[in-house]
Amino acid sequence: MTKRRTLIALIALPALAASACTGGGGGSENPSELSMNEFPRNETLYITGTGGGPPADWNTITPGEVTGLNGLGYETLFLFDPETTELDPWLAETGEWTGDLTYQLTLRDGITWSDGEQLTADDVKYTAELGQIEAVPYHNIWEWLESVEVVDDLTVEFTFAEARHQEWNNFLWAEQIVPEHVLSQLPEEEILTGANEDPVVSGPYTVHSYDQDRLAWVKRDDWWATDHLDLEVQPTFVVEVITTSNEVALNLVAQGEVDLSNNFLPGIQDLMASNPDLSTYHDEAPYMQQANTAMLIPNTTVEPLDDPEFRKAMASAVDGQKIVDSVYSGIVATANPTGLLPLWDDYIDQSVIDEHGISYGASEAASILSAAGYEDGDGDGFVENTDGEAVELTLNVPTGWTDWEEAARSMAADLQAAGINVTEEFIDAGAVDDARTSGDFEIIMNNWSGISHTPWTHYRYLFQLPVLDDQSTANFSRWENEEAWSLTEELAATASDDPRYQEILSDLQRISLEEMPAIPVWYNGAWSQVNNAVWTNWPSEADDTPNVIPTAWNGYWNMSSIYMLTELEPAG
Amino acid sequence: MSADLVLQTEIVGKRNEHLYFALRNRKVVIGSSIVLALLLLGVVGPFFLSSTPNEYVGPKSAAPSGDYWFGTTYFGQDVFAQFVHGLRSSYLVGALGGAIAFVIGLSVGFTAGYRGGLVDEFLNMITNVVLVLPALAVLIVISSYLEVRGVVSQAVIIGLFSWPWVAKAVRSQTFTLRNRDYVDLARLTGKRAPQIIVREVMPNMASYLLMAIILLFGGAILFAAMLDFIGLGPTNAVSLGTMMQQSMAWSALHLGLWWWFVPPGLAITAIVGSLYITNVGLDEVFNPKLREM
Amino acid sequence: MGRYFRRKLLIYGVTFVIAVSINFAVPRLMPGDPVARMLSRNKVANPESSEAMRAYFDNVFGFDVPLWQQYLNYWAALFKGDLGVSVYAFPASVSSVIAGALPYTLALLLPAILLSWIVGNSLGAMAARNKWLDNGVLPVGYVFTAVPYMWLAILLAWVAGVILGWFPVAGGYSFALTPTFSWVFIVDLVHHWFLPFLSLFIVALGGWAIGMRNLVIYELESDYANYLQALGAPRRLVRRYAFRNAMLPQITGLAVALGMVVGGALVTEVVFAYPGLGSLLLSAINNQDFFLLQGILLFIVIGVLVFNFLADVVYVLVDPRTRLGLEGGQS
Repeated sequence: MTKRRTLIALIALPALAASACTGGGGGSENPSELSMNEFPRNETLYITGTGGGPPADWNTITPGEVTGLNGLGYETLFLFDPETTELDPWLAETGEWTGDLTYQLTLRDGITWSDGEQLTADDVKYTAELGQIEAVPYHNIWEWLESVEVVDDLTVEFTFAEARHQEWNNFLWAEQIVPEHVLSQLPEEEILTGANEDPVVSGPYTVHSYDQDRLAWVKRDDWWATDHLDLEVQPTFVVEVITTSNEVALNLVAQGEVDLSNNFLPGIQDLMASNPDLSTYHDEAPYMQQANTAMLIPNTTVEPLDDPEFRKAMASAVDGQKIVDSVYSGIVATANPTGLLPLWDDYIDQSVIDEHGISYGASEAASILSAAGYEDGDGDGFVENTDGEAVELTLNVPTGWTDWEEAARSMAADLQAAGINVTEEFIDAGAVDDARTSGDFEIIMNNWSGISHTPWTHYRYLFQLPVLDDQSTANFSRWENEEAWSLTEELAATASDDPRYQEILSDLQRISLEEMPAIPVWYNGAWSQVNNAVWTNWPSEADDTPNVIPTAWNGYWNMSSIYMLTELEPAG
Repeated sequence: MSADLVLQTEIVGKRNEHLYFALRNRKVVIGSSIVLALLLLGVVGPFFLSSTPNEYVGPKSAAPSGDYWFGTTYFGQDVFAQFVHGLRSSYLVGALGGAIAFVIGLSVGFTAGYRGGLVDEFLNMITNVVLVLPALAVLIVISSYLEVRGVVSQAVIIGLFSWPWVAKAVRSQTFTLRNRDYVDLARLTGKRAPQIIVREVMPNMASYLLMAIILLFGGAILFAAMLDFIGLGPTNAVSLGTMMQQSMAWSALHLGLWWWFVPPGLAITAIVGSLYITNVGLDEVFNPKLREM
Repeated sequence: MGRYFRRKLLIYGVTFVIAVSINFAVPRLMPGDPVARMLSRNKVANPESSEAMRAYFDNVFGFDVPLWQQYLNYWAALFKGDLGVSVYAFPASVSSVIAGALPYTLALLLPAILLSWIVGNSLGAMAARNKWLDNGVLPVGYVFTAVPYMWLAILLAWVAGVILGWFPVAGGYSFALTPTFSWVFIVDLVHHWFLPFLSLFIVALGGWAIGMRNLVIYELESDYANYLQALGAPRRLVRRYAFRNAMLPQITGLAVALGMVVGGALVTEVVFAYPGLGSLLLSAINNQDFFLLQGILLFIVIGVLVFNFLADVVYVLVDPRTRLGLEGGQS
């Protein structure tokens, strides 16, 4: 009896399972309209590691829009070029300050939305004015922007209450222009939280299909840049594969099933040696370009972390090079003492670093400590506070963030060797978020100061005042320096070509080195590893390839990475 | 009454015989030897090796050699040192987690199955609630409120969440047993419930209970390894599961560092597998019928 | 009989209420803040804006009312079949996100659980009366049961997927396809399905076999079996009785396994990058997506309760003796 049942089940179940799969495996498409092998390999670019979840949101206003929407679908007025730190016209043809408080912008002629309508000055005005709604991410521009006037079909004039050049530039290259003729028909509720499925876009791609673990874009025929800039995106399809583990991403890119992986893949340099198809931006260390600065964040409301000298001693005790070598095997680089990313190298004032910079060394740390009155009175190998109380500090990093865990181990060991009793402790990622926001921590790590068009964002991150009960985006150290913050605010309103700009930056660098509100340790890479089997001519340091950052992370297409798609070449 | 007496004398008389057969059963001897050998390694080993298995001691990614028996990790940590510490954690989790689950499961199962009625309904409800409670999510909450996730707390949590199936199985077995004649007889003689459970019901389930202990022990080790693997392991200690998780996070297989990934899994398989084999052997010992075959 | 099932239903109802309440409480006790996580994911860096957006989304998700009111709202929505809006896959509704993932999980787990149960129990029952099988085949089964699941799965993916290249290592179907009702697609689907299925099947198989084997042996030496044999009943008949009795705990086990389908596939789906509720659950936890988490947990709760109830029904049908005990006829 048992045997017979088994056999029947053996035959029947896989068939059942297969049909069950088909029934529900469907995405958004009507199966009858689709052909087989939808995406021919040599016309398709496969990407993974962009950090997106299941595709569900094509709304630029809500957080969590699908990756690629900004750049492939919607576009910005300018592109930001991290190579030159300049803004390059994109949807806009020109843009300039026509007065102290007025900015005039001219759009390119003949840009069409995917529904055939023209992209005009009305769309720009509408997009900017959406910011008047409080729940829109760029609502803050209306604190210093006064009005937006449509001069003619292609010209818009912005009038400001205060000319915050740097903040305004951020709007120009970061905010996506949305179609007025579509959105103005919708109720506000829908604009703010609707899914905006089947978006009407201006960019080179439009949504093809999606499923829980993938999102496919298909090339548009009438992208404006083909006429205007002689640019054409090479892949007909861009398919983003959503993977949950780096191991799987590594499999996919090593086997050439995925062309571009923006995951953190440790050991990639060893794999490249054995797999000639794989490559990264640089041929040698640090292999990647730098995307953000990983910093130790001391809570300056806690003794003795409130003492700049103590923090400086910590800074000189931490061996960044050791982390770079042993944890990352050279795929990251040590951070400049100012914490400014390499793309801002031109702004770094070497004389300030020479004067105030701190060099690495346990003995250096010891002398700073003893000069500031921190001694090891009880001979336990660790210094006590100036009042004789033992110092015991905890460095928290999210559990499961393997590289940070290893880095934390390394830093805690360094600090202990220098006489500062710091123990690493790995806690739930959510608990780290809570701690960072509420200030209930001693030392944490954070890397939210990343690539932008101006170091202003870095100093806003370091010095922002006032310190609130909950700090959600900046100044996690809770360090209060009025001078530094007013300099930062002045920086926001200063044009990059103004001589005052560099003066302010030098001052800010001096303050950050003297007071060390956060300790820069290393630069995280813009992780990117590519397989050359199907597509070649990837961005790299070589002269004959594009020099953009080869990553498809959210917000990178408009950092000129879109040129990666126009410059790709089919292999062989 | 007579059946009862016969059964009892049989059980007592069998004890020495059991030991005799156990020592001559290949499965028992081999299985328990492996379990004990690894246990010994886990208990004694750490005293001879570094007490900080996460330290970077050797060359990076070195293959097994005389210096580093199991090679080194991507960072140059000694895999053998980690392995030995990991063994210790695994045994601790297995023993503690298994014991907690067994005691709870047994008490609940016997009480529910023997008493029946409202007591049963109540206990069954508790069992169901624990069973359907998403252990994973609860574990995350508990562990994030613990300052540091340790091996012991992990074992306790596993124990508190893995007893329901024992309770259910014991309950259903007790149901069928409690209506058997000899139990009815015992009841007629006026014995109290705990006595009946211990003397009449339990011996008749001995082989099943032994299996339950072994499965719980092994299950706790495996469950801990799974938690470790998805990143919910002890935060500042080494276990066999965290070794696997780390080796995966650093693409050990792709980089050819199989000596980092293979030993922890193999050790868990060896421990749990040997337990099961021992269980089979013990079954043969307890069950003369099997010996005859 | 009717009274018995009415009472059972009541008990399950109470269990449901408790489980759902805990289900409500657990994510809210978790550290972290889903709205903050959502905003930071989108790099909303302007503090002025993020405050306003926080307030707005707290309202959208209903976090701006007291906890007890959130609890009542939760029940009210539940009865309307509304599981809320996912934070992680905003603005998709939780039901639609789950509906997209459910078929994969079911297609993976139902065959794996049922087949391993059937095959495992058959093997176990056979092994219980066959010395050769017991010594030869079962040890292999024991080893498979003892293997840490992810270790086996990773090695399987590594050998059959990466080294030999026989099977794909990621996705529910080829990334070059979109769903169609065609042979190409179905073959591709099965191709992707096979390795994760196999890994689940192998690991579950040994457990059932061991359990069944031990139970049958226990039954075969029990008094009634001896008695039957003494009466001269054919061996086959004795075995059939033994088998039927041994099935009881296995049915409970099957019910539990089936009820746990969702949680069980978590590691599989992670290792094989297979879409489904398991990987969704992990993402929901990692992104503090309360509503998605609750939705998935609700599925687990309902699954376990339904299958447990079914087990109770089958119990009564298979073993009439238990009816007495269940109805509290004796105590």
